Amino acid sequence: MRVTESMRLTNHQRYLNEIATKLDETQRQLANGRKIERASDDPTAAAVALHYRRGIAYEAQMRRNIESGIAFMNVTEAALAGATETLQRIRELTVQAASDTLSPVDRETIAREVDQLIRHLVQIANTEFGDAYIFSGTATDTPAYAVTGDPPTAITYQGDTGLRIRQISREAQAPVNLVGSQVFGSTFDDLIALRDALSSGAPASAIEPYLSAIDASLDRVLSARAELGARINRFEAALQQSETTDLNLQQLRSEVEDVDLAQAIVRLSSEEVALQAALGAIGRAASLTLLDHLR
Amino acid sequence: MALSIGLDTAVKALRAHQLAVDVAAHNIANAHSPGFSRQRVLLRPVGIDGSDHWTRDAFLGRPGYGVDASEVRRVRDLFLDFQVRQTIGSRAQYAALANALGTAELAFDDPSDLGLSSALASFWNAWHDVVNEPESKAARTALVHSAETLASRIRRAWDDLDALRKDLNQQVTLAAQDINAKAEEIARLNLQIKQVELNGDSANDLRDRRDLLLDELAEIAQISYAEQGDSTVVVYLGNHELVVGTEFRRVQAVPDAGNPGMAKLVFAADGEDLATASGRLRGLLDARDQALPDLIAKLDTLASALRTEVNALHQTGYGLDGSTGLDFFTGTGARDIAVNGTLLADPRKVAASASGAAGDAAIALQIANLQRSAVASLGNVSFDDFYASLVTVLGADTARAEGLAQSSERLVSHLEAMRQSVSGVNIDEEVTNLAASQRAYEAAARVITAIDEMLDVLINRTGITGR
Repeated sequence: MRVTESMRLTNHQRYLNEIATKLDETQRQLANGRKIERASDDPTAAAVALHYRRGIAYEAQMRRNIESGIAFMNVTEAALAGATETLQRIRELTVQAASDTLSPVDRETIAREVDQLIRHLVQIANTEFGDAYIFSGTATDTPAYAVTGDPPTAITYQGDTGLRIRQISREAQAPVNLVGSQVFGSTFDDLIALRDALSSGAPASAIEPYLSAIDASLDRVLSARAELGARINRFEAALQQSETTDLNLQQLRSEVEDVDLAQAIVRLSSEEVALQAALGAIGRAASLTLLDHLR
Repeated sequence: MALSIGLDTAVKALRAHQLAVDVAAHNIANAHSPGFSRQRVLLRPVGIDGSDHWTRDAFLGRPGYGVDASEVRRVRDLFLDFQVRQTIGSRAQYAALANALGTAELAFDDPSDLGLSSALASFWNAWHDVVNEPESKAARTALVHSAETLASRIRRAWDDLDALRKDLNQQVTLAAQDINAKAEEIARLNLQIKQVELNGDSANDLRDRRDLLLDELAEIAQISYAEQGDSTVVVYLGNHELVVGTEFRRVQAVPDAGNPGMAKLVFAADGEDLATASGRLRGLLDARDQALPDLIAKLDTLASALRTEVNALHQTGYGLDGSTGLDFFTGTGARDIAVNGTLLADPRKVAASASGAAGDAAIALQIANLQRSAVASLGNVSFDDFYASLVTVLGADTARAEGLAQSSERLVSHLEAMRQSVSGVNIDEEVTNLAASQRAYEAAARVITAIDEMLDVLINRTGITGR
């Protein structure tokens, strides 16, 4: 092929441009650490990357859901622990009151303490987390129990039986709340009756039957705590699973999107060598002319 | 043979080689001029009457009567011109398309942390946050703002695509002026070339210019052309005459009744549509009338489905203040999707609850889970999948157009190199020719000296006997 001046010029320009383009691309990748900037850089990889990114964002949200759910349940658990303690104290007092050795004055003192403990238990049942009364079902803007009279003559449940359900994984939804009416049942009615019996000076034999009612209350709270514990375990398992999934997705995303630094640096230096070689070759070729050899 | 004829032969040789030197100088001067074809002097031996030496005088056993620099001709392969013009048309077509699609990609900015996909993900996640704490004003405020971010991201993508489409339309309109300017110059060159070549001369440089214009025209639109007996070229654009003899048909942009807001190119004289199967214009029109409307339609589908699906659920729910039946999104499509102003002003009205209870978030949970459900109006895929497919299809289309532009670029370079190989100037070659012509010129001058000396002998030294 006959080689002409402008051919040589355009060829040189093209070679240099090709190398410079590659070099520029490698430098860009090294600067921002990403293989694909736009979907057209690699449509298949971009589709996969979008999929992974979505998964990562979703898993992050699942962990938010789980973690805030666990926080809610931890508060619930603390409240129930308080309720257990309170009921156990009431049980101790009831056992004392059921013995014949106590004087009416002693019974009256116990009645007063039971009354305080009832008020304390109401406070526990009306525990708030954020803006929500945790035992009110979904009617979380109202306290779970309303107290009538002072001393209380009636303590009524004001919530509903709704569950606060959230998504904790792709497949699973789970409630985080325990409904107050189910946790406490007839506890407050029983305790008010007990207090009234104590203050009215009822005989020990009349107090004894209340023990089984208190035991039933304790059982309800304990089984609620057991269920809560199981739920927290389930949430924690889901959290772990989500973390594993996230790690995998992050790794997959990185493989698709991120630049392999070692590779890129090797490529950069080989492209720099190529550019230098091309410049050298062009410089030498450009200086080769017949004119140098004519006198 | 008379000595004077020898002198005449030598003078012809001087002239011929001087011309060859001039041509070499012209070639060297234009070594880098775009479109220039190297020129060659056609040297031809002549007989006494100017006829071809070989026909008669050779048989008479006589030498001829010197050289005739009969013609200066440009070296050019017309078939290569034809091939180059075909390929630069497709190169320009795909480059224009790739350029437009690449710009369209920026409207979505995905995959990245700033793209529409991450705005979409944040939107769904914000619903989950409301599910986690339906009583919380903060979660609701975050939700409506996240939703407004998504809506504005969709509106911006629409605006970007719309602006791009208008820009492409502008370029289409400008192509008309470009075509007219080139057609007008070709028509004028036709006239000049015709006049020059009528006298038997070669209008080499004018022809080079005309060929360059044909190259440039082929880059804009698909042309066909043919040289006529009178040295003019007829140029067709599509199936319509563009240049005939010394006249050209003006092209103009007029509003396209079938394509609101857009222009079409027609021939001014007869109003016929300009049709082109390749060239930059084809790429611009493909992007403007197919790729972009398609993208905008998809974006509208996405926005409308988002509005419809979210609203359908949202209307059935209750806000913290008991409000119900409210739309979450307003608008008609991607152009004007927005969060209902009432909700923005008071996020407590976000209808997260199905029962009306403050702690219930069944509706919010259903909306959050729209993310993963197949939507009929999206062709039974999820929002995420629909959007991902929009982005990857656009990416694949862009990559394909870029690939086609690159491969035609390679073909063009190859053909250009071949054309340059034929028509381009090689300085070494010209210097060699220059040296040869210089030597021949010197030799011809020496012939004159020789004849002069012979005449001197004849005139001054002959017949002096007896003086």
